[in-house]
Amino acid sequence: MKKKLIAVLLVASMAASLVACGNKNAGTTTTDTAAEQAPAEATAVDTDTTTLRLNLASEPDYLDPALNSAVDGACLAVNSFVGLYTYDENNNLVPALADGEPEMSEDGLTYTIKLIESKWSNGEALTANDFVYSWNRAVAEETAADYAYMFAPIATNADGTLKVEATDDYTLKVELNAPCAYFYDLLAFPTFMPVYQADVEAANPDGTQPGAWAQEPGFVSNGAFTLKEWKHNESMVYEKNPNFYRADDVKLEKLEFMLSADDTAIYAAYNSGDIDFADTVPNDEIQSLLNSPEFHVIDTLGTYYVGFNVNSDLFKDLTADQASKMRKALSLLIDRQYIVDTVGQTGQVPADTFIPDGMADGNGGVFEADDFGYYDAKETGAGKVEEAKSLLEECGYTFESDGNGGYSISPALEVTYMTNSGTGHEAIAQCIQQDWALVGIKVNIETEDWNVFLEDRKAGKFDIAREGWIADFNDPINMLEMWLSNGGNNDMQLGKGSSSAAPDWKAYDEKIQEIYKTTDFAARVDLMREAEDMLMDTNAVVPIYFYNDIYLQKPNVTGIYTSLNQNKYFMYAEKSAN
Amino acid sequence: MAKYIAKRILLAIVSIWIITMITFFAMNAIPGGPFNKEKATDPAVIKALEERYNLDKPLGEQYTLYMNNLLHGDWGVSLKTGRAIWPDMTSKFSVSAKLGGRAAIIAIIIGIILGAIAALTRNKLPDRLIIFFTTLGTAMPSFVLATLLLLVFCLKLGWFPVFSSSDPNYTLPVIALSVYPMAYITRLTKTSMLDALNQDYVRTARAKGVSKVKVIFLHALRNALIPVITYVGPMVAYILTGSMVVENIFTIGGLGSTFVTSITNRDYTTIMAVTIFLAILMVIANLLTDIVYKMVDPRIKLD
Repeated sequence: MKKKLIAVLLVASMAASLVACGNKNAGTTTTDTAAEQAPAEATAVDTDTTTLRLNLASEPDYLDPALNSAVDGACLAVNSFVGLYTYDENNNLVPALADGEPEMSEDGLTYTIKLIESKWSNGEALTANDFVYSWNRAVAEETAADYAYMFAPIATNADGTLKVEATDDYTLKVELNAPCAYFYDLLAFPTFMPVYQADVEAANPDGTQPGAWAQEPGFVSNGAFTLKEWKHNESMVYEKNPNFYRADDVKLEKLEFMLSADDTAIYAAYNSGDIDFADTVPNDEIQSLLNSPEFHVIDTLGTYYVGFNVNSDLFKDLTADQASKMRKALSLLIDRQYIVDTVGQTGQVPADTFIPDGMADGNGGVFEADDFGYYDAKETGAGKVEEAKSLLEECGYTFESDGNGGYSISPALEVTYMTNSGTGHEAIAQCIQQDWALVGIKVNIETEDWNVFLEDRKAGKFDIAREGWIADFNDPINMLEMWLSNGGNNDMQLGKGSSSAAPDWKAYDEKIQEIYKTTDFAARVDLMREAEDMLMDTNAVVPIYFYNDIYLQKPNVTGIYTSLNQNKYFMYAEKSAN
Repeated sequence: MAKYIAKRILLAIVSIWIITMITFFAMNAIPGGPFNKEKATDPAVIKALEERYNLDKPLGEQYTLYMNNLLHGDWGVSLKTGRAIWPDMTSKFSVSAKLGGRAAIIAIIIGIILGAIAALTRNKLPDRLIIFFTTLGTAMPSFVLATLLLLVFCLKLGWFPVFSSSDPNYTLPVIALSVYPMAYITRLTKTSMLDALNQDYVRTARAKGVSKVKVIFLHALRNALIPVITYVGPMVAYILTGSMVVENIFTIGGLGSTFVTSITNRDYTTIMAVTIFLAILMVIANLLTDIVYKMVDPRIKLD
């Protein structure tokens, strides 16, 4: 009797859990019906056309556009502040607070920027002096902004302040160190947005709390929305700013952000109709969403790559040339298409260059020609085993067939691949492990905590590591100057060590300096191509694929657009009742 | 009693002081740092930040500075966001405590009632049912339970919104938080109640003709509660500080997720603040537990 009862209860509970699983699947595949069946609350949400509800990420670190260095913070910044330039829905740079195209001196060193008459959200006039203050504040040492280096192209005075002056209330004069091909990109960048001096200074009496003014709702800004409510780690409510320079084009009254980084919760909120836009999609759901009209994939400027530490003991007894060949062999063995198909899943393009496809060249064109590549990225993998073997033979390795199409390598080669934890990163590591096993190389995958991973990678405490870079602005120099010998992001340690197997990196440093100084933008494109050639010649940087960006958006929402550096513009979005 | 409490408070201060030391040096010993970012920050900027937050000084001096500030009521600012810690921590604690408090009350009341019922109906249907569900409740990890609640009540039945900025739903997280302690208390109560029911004094009371209800509540249950109280004290302190899993799934800005993210971010000042806060709560909970022991069972000597 006892046993029977327990058995019945067990069966009942299993049935209950099956029903629950069934619900999950139903919710996954038919979002629209789920929304229709949803009760009064969710339906009411859908018809509220004045409020856009969305999720970008969890709690932002900084709302101060100068102190922010995160992607979600940048999205909040572009919707609540506006600078001299901005991106339109076609990803073109267009004047925002600048009154038409600025006037550039013949040598390309001085810009005279006329400003339109605009207001802060409190109704006060916003003048050229606000920019002079904001930019100098962003570079000041006591502000300690991560992105202060973005101001490097602007010339400085002896006291460290920028050569930026307001010649009258609505005219800004900016002097540069050298002609800058991406100056307008910078003008659209959050770090270059104006902040309201009186509030910033009032909240920071002793100079140790530069971001304090933008930590609670109600701070003055000049963008499309101002922050009205902030429940930490829960939600943020922004309201339309009637003093925004294009307020008439802003149809929404409110933006409500769900502050969460939990895949399950975000996806559930989207399916229940509680949010209209989700920037995060659970990895497991991607396959089932690929054909949904609500699933969007957009281009972004960034490269996922694998990096070799050029000073690693792996290359100890090799010449620089041999070390490069060894890395090339390993690069050719990676089946990029397979990684994109099985791990990336959202149609990423296998990478055959480090500079991503579609990046501008700073001279009115696109940097990488369509058919250009350092190898055929669609063909790398098993088909390149012979080529990889002969390259490795030049480095002193010999191979013996194991009779099953595989090889054993001698002397035995065992390498460590370091990555941070994360389903995708670890899956890619396993793909590479299998690819290299084709020629008998054993790969140990080492997973580190994110914070430690960053530190070890920076310090060169690894042999091979997973890497990625999303461009800050649309110019190749952003992805080339990081490889300067003294570059903070030069994780591959190019020019940093004394290993005889490391490439001589002086010429590269000189090349970048030449790019900085050149006044001829056509010649600059060629110089940048030469720099990329030098980088790719080392084979220390092994591009895998170009990033793209995915999000979910309800069919009744239109007008949200994203710049190539992943800033999302919500202010001109519209929401219809059905 | 007063002497005992004074002694306990003194001891508590010493143990909290030891906890601050261990936490401070342990968190500085683990690799990583608060200013590590994917895109490297300029060394000059890092230097400025380290100076601002005294991180450039030797560890011993940093600790002394920190404790000195703390004794003057200055909890410092978060290294990650620059926000003052005290107001943030208290507002997050008030959210966690609101949820945790409700969950604790539900768990204690229902747990004790169910436990008593199970003990009194031993081996009969109610007992079987209660034990089955409490076994399920203790075995199911909170992330499974929370996700299940979300799927059933928010997505399938649509009784609650998954997310609402104006009217956040607290019912489901309270349930998710209370199930485990409730199930645990039920089992504890049942076991110790069965034990108490077999004691001589209970049999004597019944033999004297004391009514059944009186025996159960006054004699058996009261004595059965001692082990429950032992569990409830620390449980309440724990539940009040929140659970990361439940907070994340139901988008609640409580202290539980702050504690965990501060560690992954190496946000030293926040780690210290939350640890000390949790330690103080634990100490208070233990002290109250001891006092309640004395009230429930006068035979217990406190010293």
